Amino acid sequence: MPRPRRSRRTWVTIAILVLISITIITLDERAGTHHITSGLKSFANDVFSPVRSGVNAVVDPIGNFFAGAVNYRGLQEQNNQLRATIGRLEEQQSGANYTQREQQQIDELQHLPFLPGISKVTAGVTSYQLSNFDADIQIDLGTSRGVTTGMPVVGNGGLVGVVTQSYRNSAIVTLVTDGQSKVGVVFGPATCTTCWGISQGQGPGQQMNVNLVQPNTALSKGEIMYTNGGQGGALPPGIPVAKVASYHQVSGESQISIHVTPTANLSELAYVDVLLWEPSA
Amino acid sequence: MNGREVFRLFMLIVLVLIIQYTVGLDLRIAGAHPDLMLLLPIAAGVVGGPEIGAATGFAAGIATDLLLPTPFGLSALVYSMVGFAVGYVMDAGASRREGFWWLTPLIALAASGAAVMLYAVLGAVLGQEQMVKVDLAAVVTVVAVVNAVLSPLACRMMGWALDRPVGSRRRSRRRLMARRLDSVR
Repeated sequence: MPRPRRSRRTWVTIAILVLISITIITLDERAGTHHITSGLKSFANDVFSPVRSGVNAVVDPIGNFFAGAVNYRGLQEQNNQLRATIGRLEEQQSGANYTQREQQQIDELQHLPFLPGISKVTAGVTSYQLSNFDADIQIDLGTSRGVTTGMPVVGNGGLVGVVTQSYRNSAIVTLVTDGQSKVGVVFGPATCTTCWGISQGQGPGQQMNVNLVQPNTALSKGEIMYTNGGQGGALPPGIPVAKVASYHQVSGESQISIHVTPTANLSELAYVDVLLWEPSA
Repeated sequence: MNGREVFRLFMLIVLVLIIQYTVGLDLRIAGAHPDLMLLLPIAAGVVGGPEIGAATGFAAGIATDLLLPTPFGLSALVYSMVGFAVGYVMDAGASRREGFWWLTPLIALAASGAAVMLYAVLGAVLGQEQMVKVDLAAVVTVVAVVNAVLSPLACRMMGWALDRPVGSRRRSRRRLMARRLDSVR
């Protein structure tokens, strides 16, 4: 018995749509045609950004009002904690001035690039984790303010991530916790020749791993790991990336198994600094 | 579909897109947020059948892809397949679904779960390995449950866009027709 005509047309429709989708994915993946899809994305983001800002400006105060009303006690406690933290930081700041002066002299002597020398722009975070499958944020600065792909983003105590897509008035920053994120790190004393590795994200909200650290390398819990300035100078050296949460060494294995947490508090990002750092060629 | 229906569908996609990428991103449960755009092909499949489900899924997917850093076209592929599958299942059981009010939420639950997993697997195949590293159980649960709860409302809205009354409206229209026929007799 021949199939009804509508059924055949239905199958043809889905086949065509699947083929078009696969063609679009191929265009996006190929280096030669990627600029077409990225141009479309850029245009769409530039159109959508003001709409998002407008809606957020209306919706956020309402949401904040209810959140504040429901969680008043928690907010008060958080406020007290923040006041205490500011007090501690002010104490540390006054004590650290002398050390800083010394450090600056050493840096100048060794001709090392250090973070305060890099110009930066402060951006507001407009969206957090656009997709359930990526650890990323969207910021409100783009190519019009000099923010381009590959620039490091810092804030809240360390490296936040790297700009991976840049549009005219907005950009997407892939966080260090994203599964695709890999950062070369160093730790320990400057004389240690094996104190380096590569930190790799494991997805939003999950601990990161540090790979390639050789067995018997001196390591301690809570130790801070910094960018090594390697990878062709993709990131400037000395930015705090992660803190050692746990590690264990199994005899016979070629590396230490290290779990780290980001030094930056990635769950509460309101503003970040984009370092206008051009990776060296 | 006529021009008016296409325009209404376009407006519905834009509206849901704005809700998803403003309020929707702030609604976070166990680290995952709902995927309201996925609800559109499901509702279109329920209301309009496989062809309209697939076409709506493609349009909603392209709109989503424009704002996401994930591979362009991936959402369009997954959403059109989901819209088609939902429409096909609903068409197949069309004669037996009268009175089963829970069928639409159940279909939305299953379709959403399947769509999230398909999205993650296809993403990993395309080189986005991080997509299978996330807490997939949490994402599937949040997206599926929220879509199941909102599916009756989404079907109503889709019914308006496609000019096809859904659920109680359809039943009340039938009752009205029957009463009119009785009065004529």
